[in-house]
Amino acid sequence: MLLMPAALLLGLWFIYPIVESFVLSLQHVDEFNFAHRTYIGLHNFSQLVHDPAFRHSLYITLVFVVFVVPAQTVLSLVLASILQSVGVGRALFRAAFFVPYMTSTVAVTTVFMKLFVSGAPLANLGAHLGVPNTTWYADVHLALPFLVVVYVYMYVGFYIVIFVSGMESIPRELYEAAKVDGAHAMQRFRFITVPSLRPFVIFVVVAGMIQAIQIFDQAYVVSGGSILGSPAGATSTLVVFIYQQAFRLNALGYGSAGAVILLLIVLFGTLVTRRLIPEREA
Amino acid sequence: MTSASATRRIVPLSKYAFLTIFGLLMLGPLLFALYTSLESPADYMHLVGFSKLTLSNYRYVIDNAQILRWYFNTAFVTAGVVIGAVVVNTMAGYALARIRFPGRTVAFVIVLAVLMVPLQAILIPLYLLIARFGWLNSYQALMVPFMVNPFLIFLMRQSFQTLPPDLEDAAAVDGARRFTMFLKIAVPLTLTGIATQAVLAGTWTWNSFMIPVTFTTDPSHYVLTVGLNSLQSQFYTLATVQMAGVVLLTVPVVLMFLVFQRLVIPSVATTGIRG
Repeated sequence: MLLMPAALLLGLWFIYPIVESFVLSLQHVDEFNFAHRTYIGLHNFSQLVHDPAFRHSLYITLVFVVFVVPAQTVLSLVLASILQSVGVGRALFRAAFFVPYMTSTVAVTTVFMKLFVSGAPLANLGAHLGVPNTTWYADVHLALPFLVVVYVYMYVGFYIVIFVSGMESIPRELYEAAKVDGAHAMQRFRFITVPSLRPFVIFVVVAGMIQAIQIFDQAYVVSGGSILGSPAGATSTLVVFIYQQAFRLNALGYGSAGAVILLLIVLFGTLVTRRLIPEREA
Repeated sequence: MTSASATRRIVPLSKYAFLTIFGLLMLGPLLFALYTSLESPADYMHLVGFSKLTLSNYRYVIDNAQILRWYFNTAFVTAGVVIGAVVVNTMAGYALARIRFPGRTVAFVIVLAVLMVPLQAILIPLYLLIARFGWLNSYQALMVPFMVNPFLIFLMRQSFQTLPPDLEDAAAVDGARRFTMFLKIAVPLTLTGIATQAVLAGTWTWNSFMIPVTFTTDPSHYVLTVGLNSLQSQFYTLATVQMAGVVLLTVPVVLMFLVFQRLVIPSVATTGIRG
C-alpha cells in the first residue's frame, strides 16, 4: 500500500518521539546511563517553575517575540503593498526580498556577526542612531536585538510573499466598483484591502509568533562554541534552555519537560490560528 | 491640475526608490560576503579595486579545513533526502487524495496534526532513537528523519486532487493495477508538484543545522552548516576565510532558488492560505 512508507516513518520520527517526550518529561534520566530512567511524576515541572534559568529563558523568548512579530508584520505588509502597486519589475524585487529566506541561518548569522563588530558598517550605522558602537553579539544589552535583526532579515521576505498572495486573491472588480462609486485610494485601501487581508494578517502574526518562539540556530551560532546563551544568558531562549539542559548538562528528563511546554505553546497557538481563519479546503 | 499629475509621476518613482533601497539592504549582506571572500585578509573592510581581488581565501579554506569533505557530505545527504522524500511523500499524497480506504480522513488529520509539531520539541527522543540505532555520526541519521515531511505530503495531496477524477475509475481497479496507474498516469501529470517538493526538500536539508549539529560530533561527518559554524572559532581572526565558507554554502541554494522560483514562491504562498 502506497501509504505504508510514510506511515512507518511518521510513526517512528514524529508520533513515537511526541509520546516519548511526554514520557521523558515525567522521568529522571541518569546523566551517565540514559537507559536508567526512573518515574518521578510532575517533579520536573515543579522544578521548572522555580528555576530562575527557565524563567529567564521564557522572558528572553517573550522579549524576542514582542520585537520580532510587529517588526516583521508591519515591514512585510508595507513592502507587499508597495510591491503590489508597481507594474514593471515586481517579480525581480520579490525574488531579491526572498533570497535571504532561502539561505542558511548559519551563513546569514555568520555574515551579520561580521557586520555588527565594533567599527563595522552596521555597528557604525547603529552608532549614528545612538546605539553604542560596539560588537553587538558580545554585548549583554545588544545581543538580543542582534538576534532580532538577523531573524527579521531572514523572515521578512517569506511574509511579503504571503501578503502578496493575499492581495492577489482580492477580486479586481471590487476595486473597479469602488472607483466607479468615487472611493479614493486611501478609502479603497481602508475598506477593501484591509478587511480582505484580515485572515492573512492574523496568520502572519500568529504563525510569526509560533516561528519566533522556536528560535535556536541563530542563538547557537552567536554563542560561537562557548556556553550556549552567551553573553551571560542574553540569548538564552526557550529552545536554547532545553538544548542546554539535554545536550550540555545531560538532563534529558528535565529538558523534555521544557520541550513539552514548548510543544503545548505551539499547539495552542496553531489551534488558535485554525479557529480565527475560516477554513478553505484546497 | 499640474501638481496632481506631478504627484502621479513622482509616486511610482518614490516607490521604486524605496523598493530598490530595501532590495539592496536585503542583498547587501550577501554581496558583502561575496566581495569580502575575494579580498586578501589585509584588505578586509577596505574597498579595493578588482585587480586586488583574489581566490586565496578559497584555497586557504580548502587546504586548512575539510570543506570538500563537508561539501560531499552535504550533497550526498541532500540527494538522499530528495530521492527518499519524493518517493515517500508522493505515494502518501496520492493515497490520501485518490484512494478510498477506511480511515483516510483520520490519516489525513494525523498528517495535519504532525505538521504543527516543531522538531525542536522532539529533538531529545529523536536523539535517543538515533543513538539506540547506533547512528550517531552517520549519513542515515541526517537523511532518514527528513524523508517524510507532513507539509510535502499535504502539497502532493493537493497536486493529485487537481487531476480530473475520471482519469482512473477508482472502483474498478485492484491493487496491482492501481500502482501501475499511479506510476503511468498520475505521476507524469504531477511533475510540477514533484519538482516543487524536490526543491523544497533539497533546500531544507542543505540548510538544516539543528539536526546535524546534534547528531554529528566527528568533523569528517559534518555537513557544510556545521562545518561553517566550526570555522568561526578555528579561523577566528580570518574573516575573509569565513566569508569564503559562507559563499560556498550559500551559492548552490541561491542558484537553485533563482532557477526554480516559479515553483518555490507559489508553494510558500499556500502555507499562508492554509495555516
